[in-house]
Amino acid sequence: MRKQQVAVRAGAFDIEVWEAGSGTPVLFLHGEGGPTWTSFHDALTERYRVIAPVHPGYGESTGNDQLQDLPDLIYYYLDFLDQLKLRDLPLIGHGLGGMVATELAAVQPDRFTALVLIAPMGLWLADDPVQDFFVMSPADLAAALYHDQDSTAARAAAETPTEGDARIEFHLERAKSMATAAKYLWPIPNRGLAKRLHRVTAPTLVVWGASDRIASPRYAEAFRERIAGARVEIVEEAGHLPQEEHPASVAELTSAFLAEVDQNAGRASALSR
Amino acid sequence: MKLEMFHLMPYRELPEDFAEKHHSVWVDIPSHLFDPARAHEMYNDTLDELEFGTTVGYDGVCVNEHHGNGYGMMPSPNIMAASVARRTRDAAVIVLGNSIALYNPPVRVAEEFAMLDVISGGRLIAGFPVGSSQDTNFAYGMNPATLRDRYYEAERLIIEAWTNPDVFSFDGKYTQLRYVNIWPRPIQRPHPPVWIPGGGSIETWGWCLEKGYLYAYLSYSGFKRGKLVMDGFWKKADELGVERNPYHAGFLQLVAVGESASEVEEKFGPHGEYFYNKMLHVYPGFREAPGYRTLDTIKMGLLGQTTFFGDRPPSLTWKDLLAQGNIVAGTPSQVTEQLEQVIKDLHIGHLMVLNQFGSIPHDLAMDNIKLMGEKVLPKLRHLWDGRYEDRWWIKPLDGRRSVSPLRTQAPTTARAEVLTAAKAR
Repeated sequence: MRKQQVAVRAGAFDIEVWEAGSGTPVLFLHGEGGPTWTSFHDALTERYRVIAPVHPGYGESTGNDQLQDLPDLIYYYLDFLDQLKLRDLPLIGHGLGGMVATELAAVQPDRFTALVLIAPMGLWLADDPVQDFFVMSPADLAAALYHDQDSTAARAAAETPTEGDARIEFHLERAKSMATAAKYLWPIPNRGLAKRLHRVTAPTLVVWGASDRIASPRYAEAFRERIAGARVEIVEEAGHLPQEEHPASVAELTSAFLAEVDQNAGRASALSR
Repeated sequence: MKLEMFHLMPYRELPEDFAEKHHSVWVDIPSHLFDPARAHEMYNDTLDELEFGTTVGYDGVCVNEHHGNGYGMMPSPNIMAASVARRTRDAAVIVLGNSIALYNPPVRVAEEFAMLDVISGGRLIAGFPVGSSQDTNFAYGMNPATLRDRYYEAERLIIEAWTNPDVFSFDGKYTQLRYVNIWPRPIQRPHPPVWIPGGGSIETWGWCLEKGYLYAYLSYSGFKRGKLVMDGFWKKADELGVERNPYHAGFLQLVAVGESASEVEEKFGPHGEYFYNKMLHVYPGFREAPGYRTLDTIKMGLLGQTTFFGDRPPSLTWKDLLAQGNIVAGTPSQVTEQLEQVIKDLHIGHLMVLNQFGSIPHDLAMDNIKLMGEKVLPKLRHLWDGRYEDRWWIKPLDGRRSVSPLRTQAPTTARAEVLTAAKAR
């Protein structure tokens, strides 16, 4: 995986972009917790050129102060896509990134060939509210994020550096990332996406961890009901980060879905010829 | 030296095991712990205490705003201030303040403060806090990412609403108004003194100094840790070339006075412990929403150069509280001596005193206020005399009419009689 900086909107944003693989591009938008690159991403690079930009306000991406609310972020991403001349590509998003991906697919439905949403934010069920992850301690958060508390990933998430510069850097980066997430998800992660979901025409796969204790799998159904033709895959023994807990199987689900979409598109274009 | 009495209006009767059994005193404090009939008594006690404070020598009384909070039950301090304005004559009515980013449009604050200034005859001091994260982000759902920006915009709008004699339009990021034209207008020109209550955000220092607003450091950490913050403020003043005028700054201190140290400990000890151990029991996750503090302030905190609300050991004894300077307590002469030291060390011209804190019952609060007024305030008033000008003080209307009949005696007496009579029955 290589990292590079990309200037967007004449340098108003200097964006960190992670990329690997070759072939058809796929855009991956990371979740509220911040950018990660795992074996899930590596598995996708076997067939795709995976492009994973870091949202403004996270990591080395700048320009956050120019974004006041979700519409600003969506227009920024349209500029980003234009800058990289990206169109006719699948979109994958997790959590906050899933919310952004869905918004993009609603605002420019013709631009994207498929949508894979992994535990996306954006809907709100009053009788099954998304948990307030902003107020959780690192230990509580790890318990909510992972099915298996003893997994390496869960343990690593619960541990925070306690000394020296590492401690300061960790807390500052976390403060910066969470403040950015709050811009789009505070006080509750609902910015009216439900009103726009009918515009999504890309074939859509919704992936949810059966043990997601941030947003229950009922949300998968809520997305399916509102996006025409959407399919749901529930990943057993996975929490809010199924692509980290079960990278191989979630990558497999994703690849198979994208291949099927390609095939169908091929058939459709053959028919139209 | 100006001496002001501050009141938080706490709920005095939380259960003994509150901190063990309940999640937080703020944001999600259970409603079943609130007894409106008891609160009726507490609100009226508080108003009596505030009014009484002005008769014993306090220069002003302070009220503040909290939401969903068991130790601060003034969601609208303006209601308390309106009542106090009617029943006092000379004291400053200090509202510390209205969290201006919460009100849409913020001209609401310009209007209500103008009303208070007019009713009181020009005795209002207008406090503009950003507001705690618990109040603004949690209880009122304000987005932490834009809170400060919204705050600065609201301040700009309110000041212009007070000072621009013409009807004007306002094109803000958060508030857009075709017609801004508040009616009534404040008595004090160009506008009532503005005080900025701060909790230790370092940006606020420079902003207050540049704007010429008073910086009031409100914390319960006491003077020892307060010095850290005030030193930061004065250092910033030096950097900006602003005079170290003590009246430019205020500080809050809990104070208990009695005839002897042991009497004070016996009478106030449990109430002090109640305040620190029960009332400040705030769930750590509610300490701050992400983005509430700027990265610079967070960094200062991580480096140990500022303190943060909620940084406290789980259980403090009266002795700890005195040793750490959270509470200044003792005989009048001991308290006078300590407060004089605090005033000089922190270099402040406004000392805001909490005489009622935690579960202190009304009669004891009244005794505390009385002794403070009789034996302590007169000995502190001369500090800074003739050396500095207080440019942050009220300018009341000359020849203003007397407001409502003032109490001629301490209301505690009448209430005590009623209570005695009730007990006798």
